[in-house]
Amino acid sequence: MRSARFFLVALATFLFALAALIALATPASAIERNFAGSAQLDYHFVPTVRSAKAFPSTFDGFTMEFAGKLAVDFSERVSANMKVCYGCHGFEADMMYFDIRVADELNFRIGRFSPSFGAFNLRHDPANHRLSDKPLPYDMGRMLRMRQWNMSVLPSPFPDNGLEIDGTKWLGPSVQLDYAAYAVTGFKSDVRPLDIDFKLSRSPQAYYVDDNARPTFGGRMALTFKLGEASDLTLGASGMYGTYDPNNDQSYLIVGADATLRVDKTTIRAEYLGRRTELSTADRTLFKYVVADERGDFTMKHGAYFEVEHGLTSELDLIGRVDGMYRVGNVEAASELSRRSSVFRYTLGTAYAIERGLRIKFSTELWEFSDRDALTGRKLELSMHTALAGSF
Amino acid sequence: MRLRLLAALFGAALVSTAIACEHGEALDASKMPENVRADYEVFAHKCSKCHSLARPLTANITDDEQWVLYVNRMRRQPGSGISPQDQEAILRFLRYYAADLRRIQAEKNGGAPVPAHQNQSVPVLTPATPAPPAPAPPASAVDGGAT
Ligand code: HEC
Repeated sequence: MRSARFFLVALATFLFALAALIALATPASAIERNFAGSAQLDYHFVPTVRSAKAFPSTFDGFTMEFAGKLAVDFSERVSANMKVCYGCHGFEADMMYFDIRVADELNFRIGRFSPSFGAFNLRHDPANHRLSDKPLPYDMGRMLRMRQWNMSVLPSPFPDNGLEIDGTKWLGPSVQLDYAAYAVTGFKSDVRPLDIDFKLSRSPQAYYVDDNARPTFGGRMALTFKLGEASDLTLGASGMYGTYDPNNDQSYLIVGADATLRVDKTTIRAEYLGRRTELSTADRTLFKYVVADERGDFTMKHGAYFEVEHGLTSELDLIGRVDGMYRVGNVEAASELSRRSSVFRYTLGTAYAIERGLRIKFSTELWEFSDRDALTGRKLELSMHTALAGSF
Repeated sequence: MRLRLLAALFGAALVSTAIACEHGEALDASKMPENVRADYEVFAHKCSKCHSLARPLTANITDDEQWVLYVNRMRRQPGSGISPQDQEAILRFLRYYAADLRRIQAEKNGGAPVPAHQNQSVPVLTPATPAPPAPAPPASAVDGGAT
């Protein structure tokens, strides 16, 4: 394990130095730079929300996200991407990486980036996806009762520091194969964790350092089939495994499967994510339910979505989505969740391009929770989004 | 209060929609020279899989070399579905588009109005068959947006 870690660090350092050298050696005039950005202002109206403003479990009202990105091509083989975004946690480094490409089939990515997992993350920027909200398995704070649920299966984006080896290859004229394998810092928590601490995991306060010096490993494979001039199908599978507490005692395993079918102006997307998270049972008084001796030391969180997007005209898109999560396992003593909890959401939305690069998004969401809200006793909730999203 | 704010937002959204309904995301292919349209369709389909078409169309990249690097980078994104053949068609369109952007920029900068597509460093189209007759003054792809 120690020698594997040493090898990884040595490889990353070498590649970083190589990229820096190439960058420095490239005459400034030959460097191609492009600056891009995006922003979304969303108003989330939740008529059924409870009024616990001191510790909101739902972000209703306005939320603002924006991002600025610099893409630099030093040469055909070396490029860099830097993206800084502003959201709920203030300013954050979403991308700061070099790509060193030996061939289409072999690329080294080093720095800070979201490792390849699933299909949605490529479109996580609010100017890229057509609804205000991300699919539930990837939600990062807009979902109702987000604190009770400790967010989603894998909140997107999930930028992390590390090294990824990836590539793409066309197998004949109609099949594209993509692969990626990576070692990154991994998620974090405190010493006696009951779940991943997503806030700590992305906090720049610790200057994005690792908490346990053991990398999380993962990878993705995908096949894209060209079905016709204007249609293709992508099937992918992803996995990620590591420990998340400072003592390296508790592990997490995230697996995913995704399918995207595009036929002309209609896109159908389906994705499943599951996370098995070990939890520390050292202090059994922390739990709501008696800790079972067998299989009592982990939780499972499943999440999936199915989405249809149709471009009615070149300006107007219609979107329908069904998504949900199902969580099994013990919970903290004060938790409002049960040993088995579920949430389903039904969304209908439109996105209208009022200008090139500027969209208005409307959506209505119906939520169905298996647990009653502790204050209102509700299981059903309704929410509406109106957003202005743009890219430049 | 909440309801009023929401109503105001919806209202503003509708008004701006009404004002702006002349514009859209894509370009109007019918205003392009005939020999560009097929390439445009490939571009419009392939480059809108992961983000809106506005991303490339508003990137303001006017340098053909930079487009080559960009399209290569996008082709290598996982699941892009962009084959080397698609890439050729996309780049043919983007050369046409970049030339149009350069023309508009030159006009804005007060330089002598440059006839469309004559100030490019590479040909707009690289037809395999004998070149078709030059299209009658091609309409601008850039500012003749979709209706
Ligand atoms: C497989 C997905 C995918 C496809 C297909 C794709 N792009 Fe992108 N594109 C991306 C991603 C991911 C980003 C970065 C968005 C972000 O900042 O989150 C991006 C961003 C961009 C940007 C904004 C500048 C930047 O670097 O962020 C431009 C311009 C762009 N793409 C052009 C194109 C063109 C031209 C095509 C067609 C040849 C294309 N894209 C096809 C995934 C894709």
